Amino acid sequence: MSAEFVLETKDLTVGYDGTALINGVNIEVKAGKIVTLIGPNGAGKSTILKTIAGHLEKVGGAVYLSGRPFEKLTAHDVSLELSVMLTERLRTELLTCADVVETGRYPYTGRLGILSDDDREKVREAMEMVHVWDLRARDFMQLSDGQRQRIMLARAICQEPRTIMLDEPTNYLDIHYQIELLNVLRHLVSTRGVGVIMSLHELPLARKVSDHIICVKGDSIVAQGPPEEIFTPAVIDELYDLEPGTFDPVSGNIELDPLPS
Amino acid sequence: MQRQDQIDDDFGQGVRRARVTGVFIGLAVLLVVFAVANLCIGSLTVPLQDLGAILTGHDTESTYYQVIWNIRLPRLIAAGLLGGALALAGFLLQTFFNNPIAGPYILGISSGAKLVVALMMIVVVGNAGVMTSGMLILAAFVGSMIAMIFVLLVSRRINSMSMLIVAGVMIGYICSAATDFLITFASDANIVNLKNWSLGSFSGINWSDIGLMTVVVLASSGAVFLLSKPMGAFQLGEQYARSMGVNIRLFRIALILLSSLLAACVTAFAGPISFVGIAVPHLVKRFLATSKPLVVVPAAFLGGGIFCLFCDLIARSVFAPTEVSISAVTAIFGAPVVIAILLHRQKRVEQ
Repeated sequence: MSAEFVLETKDLTVGYDGTALINGVNIEVKAGKIVTLIGPNGAGKSTILKTIAGHLEKVGGAVYLSGRPFEKLTAHDVSLELSVMLTERLRTELLTCADVVETGRYPYTGRLGILSDDDREKVREAMEMVHVWDLRARDFMQLSDGQRQRIMLARAICQEPRTIMLDEPTNYLDIHYQIELLNVLRHLVSTRGVGVIMSLHELPLARKVSDHIICVKGDSIVAQGPPEEIFTPAVIDELYDLEPGTFDPVSGNIELDPLPS
Repeated sequence: MQRQDQIDDDFGQGVRRARVTGVFIGLAVLLVVFAVANLCIGSLTVPLQDLGAILTGHDTESTYYQVIWNIRLPRLIAAGLLGGALALAGFLLQTFFNNPIAGPYILGISSGAKLVVALMMIVVVGNAGVMTSGMLILAAFVGSMIAMIFVLLVSRRINSMSMLIVAGVMIGYICSAATDFLITFASDANIVNLKNWSLGSFSGINWSDIGLMTVVVLASSGAVFLLSKPMGAFQLGEQYARSMGVNIRLFRIALILLSSLLAACVTAFAGPISFVGIAVPHLVKRFLATSKPLVVVPAAFLGGGIFCLFCDLIARSVFAPTEVSISAVTAIFGAPVVIAILLHRQKRVEQ
């Protein structure tokens, strides 16, 4: 891999129907590193991710995957660079979990999409990594939201891209599975050198797992840097409009207003 | 080989493969049974033991031979091919709109085709011309594309499954009403046929129609089969499909063109036929216990053919010598399936 970054944006402007929502988005994801977007609800974290993935038309600027401009890549090229795990609920009909994960091998199979033995091995590896191998024969619709989320992660992993994008991956997960999911991501990043870009709500988790944090608020990126620089009261209070002293970004401790007596 | 078995086992492929094989064997048997029944049963009953000789070209002088070769065999082939085409058109539309009760009839696409074909027949036949099969298919294709464009425009503006269906049904009504006007005012004797056709019927199909019909239906069905892979990706939604490398624009255009062409071909020769496009793919998926297009596409094609052979047999034999319109029969067997789908979905939502 010659390029320094598996994913990079330069002065990217995102928005809907050509109207700019967030300007000057500069993100750099290195192989083997985790970059996390944090910020209040509706700040546009999803909009940034969807624009990078090409699901939304960008308003301006540029996106590079392994150093190559997005526009120059075919849909197939992109699928080898970037796989996604979205936050929208998926409805399937009569598909087993293995069927859903297998779709991750799409870029590697022939015209009819029949999986080879090697493809099946990869599916198995991915499902075992996320601890869902036991669910393989179950109907996808019969699973809990948390289980489905893990199936979709296995799907994204077995696509074997250079970068994995996750939009709110911990939605629907209880704390046990949130921690497990982030452990899987860390394992993935360290063993396979995959780059990860994701959005997260849980600040303590973001602080633990990320190599780099990007704060999104209003019409711009208000701050970015390593977690130890971002998770200071000054930055976090500003980002989430908190009263000073009500939240400790390092311990995750919160202070509520005293009740009127 | 051992490794293969091991992997198959791990994925539950052994069980699944057995089930799929079983379904295809069942479909093949049904196809033969209904084909033979369609050839033998009718106002003139052809004895089963004579059938072999007739089909292999012996015994050419008998009345049986004339009935089989001139009437029943072309009708059988048409019902089989067009039934398969309808089922595939339905499956494509269900995939496209992500709506289990989408189909060419319910979305008004068959009626659009009907309107333009009727218009063209009246113009051409009124000027003492002759409609060729090619002209029929072309007119039907234009009509189905016009209706399809309307449905697409509606689906862009509203994002509700049931409203899409309502809009389709309305388009269907408008087109059918317009066709009725045309038929009423066109009192030419040549147009008497139009009335039967506009209700849906496999009668009167002859060998000259079969050639082009076979080419168009088999070519489009082959193309649909080759789309199995992107259709499988599209089942997870447009965004996932895109991230797997599907060229969404091209894929959508292909789905629209193929479903319109298949529906048009059916309407051109047999008029609008209801419910096959919804009921058959649904039943086939239940039997296969999967919705993977790679197996659903061929099974739906066979299933659609069988369903139409069965319905045509009933349409022409139950009230013989009077023939019931094919659409009436397919509705009786198809509509309950649609109701079952709706009830099933409702139950799932409540859970």
